[in-house]
Amino acid sequence: MYVIIVYDVEQERVTRVCQLLRRFLHWVQNSAFEGELTESQLETLKVKLKEILDLERDSVYIYRFPDKKFVRKEVIGQEKALVEVVI
Amino acid sequence: MAQSYYIFRSGRLKRKQNTLYLEQEIEDGQIRHQPIPIENVRDLYLFGEIDLNTKLLSFLAQHGVVVHCFNYYGFYSGSFYPRENNVSGHLLVRQVEHYLDSQKRMAIAKEFVHSALFHIRRNLNYYRNRGKKVDEAIDVVEASMGRLQEAQDVLELMREEGQAREAYYKAFNEILELEEPFEKRVRRPPDNMVNALLSFGNSLLYAATLSEIYVTQLNPTVSYLHEPSKRRFSLALDISEIFKPLIVDRTVFRVINKGVIGEEDFEAVGEVKGIYLKEEAAKTFVREFESSLQETVKHRKLNRHVSYRQLIRLEAYKLIRHLLGMESYRAFKVWW
Repeated sequence: MYVIIVYDVEQERVTRVCQLLRRFLHWVQNSAFEGELTESQLETLKVKLKEILDLERDSVYIYRFPDKKFVRKEVIGQEKALVEVVI
Repeated sequence: MAQSYYIFRSGRLKRKQNTLYLEQEIEDGQIRHQPIPIENVRDLYLFGEIDLNTKLLSFLAQHGVVVHCFNYYGFYSGSFYPRENNVSGHLLVRQVEHYLDSQKRMAIAKEFVHSALFHIRRNLNYYRNRGKKVDEAIDVVEASMGRLQEAQDVLELMREEGQAREAYYKAFNEILELEEPFEKRVRRPPDNMVNALLSFGNSLLYAATLSEIYVTQLNPTVSYLHEPSKRRFSLALDISEIFKPLIVDRTVFRVINKGVIGEEDFEAVGEVKGIYLKEEAAKTFVREFESSLQETVKHRKLNRHVSYRQLIRLEAYKLIRHLLGMESYRAFKVWW
């Protein structure tokens, strides 16, 4: 499945959340990641996120799509990072 | 869902913050960081000049990532094949047993060749239906297929395959819109555009097959059609034989006939003039190749969609079932 994750967490935890997400997904913007994951990878990721987050203060949104082809992406202005497997 | 990453840039691959980073020096000493999500990596294909250290290798081994290296000309030069997690002594013994017993070996080798020729004929039929004059080649391929059953040893199989392929390659002049005719298959070094593309595509497929074998318990050095020689993972050669016409050849037909890649994308290098893909064109080809691998078909038995890449792995699993005596091996043949 294709997943888009955006987060809004307090500054002290930003780096840790970002670093964790980098292991699973492609960084596209500040506080935004996307990429292909399996169900089990997403579960693992959620467990690890919960270990870091302060659930009273932080928030993470996960958008999932059954397939990448259902995601139509438009970019206005600068494209900050490419989601590409040919580097 | 793990993906393959093809790295053309030069730089240093690092383990950093528990993931993969490609660091590249750009002008005035600045360093560009490109993070790669490690959980999402199946294998790496390195085409650029990459530095790395053992820390990275053990990190990759932890995640079971196979690394394939290609030299400056895009030829396969070797793989980092991490310690196998899925080993089975039992299966290895069976693998060797089927190699040593010439009858058992022939049974498997025949399947490989038969499937390869079947797919070659498929490609030819496709173009015949589009009005290309490839009947002669089809006749040769079918004659070879007919003689396979009587073949006594692997050498004979190889000869039949060679004859069929020769006719097939001759038909390329009909299939492809070429300025210069395609004479014959030449390797080391490839002498023209078509040969260069075929060589490049075959080595990509060989590496992809090896990655799939890595996931299974099969030992990649014990093979049946090719001799299990030194230096090479010859089982990957065996299995990729089945898929070459479907994945590599079709990709080559597509990029040439659609004009995605043309004469201007190649350069001649070396004393004995070899023709090689320029970097940008190589990237284009890799993208096309990867999308061929990701293309899916509905599997009749599994009743779900599987990609070509998964079909390669399924082939390995079928071979295991055969070796363990669960079900006799029938090589994959396109059913659509």
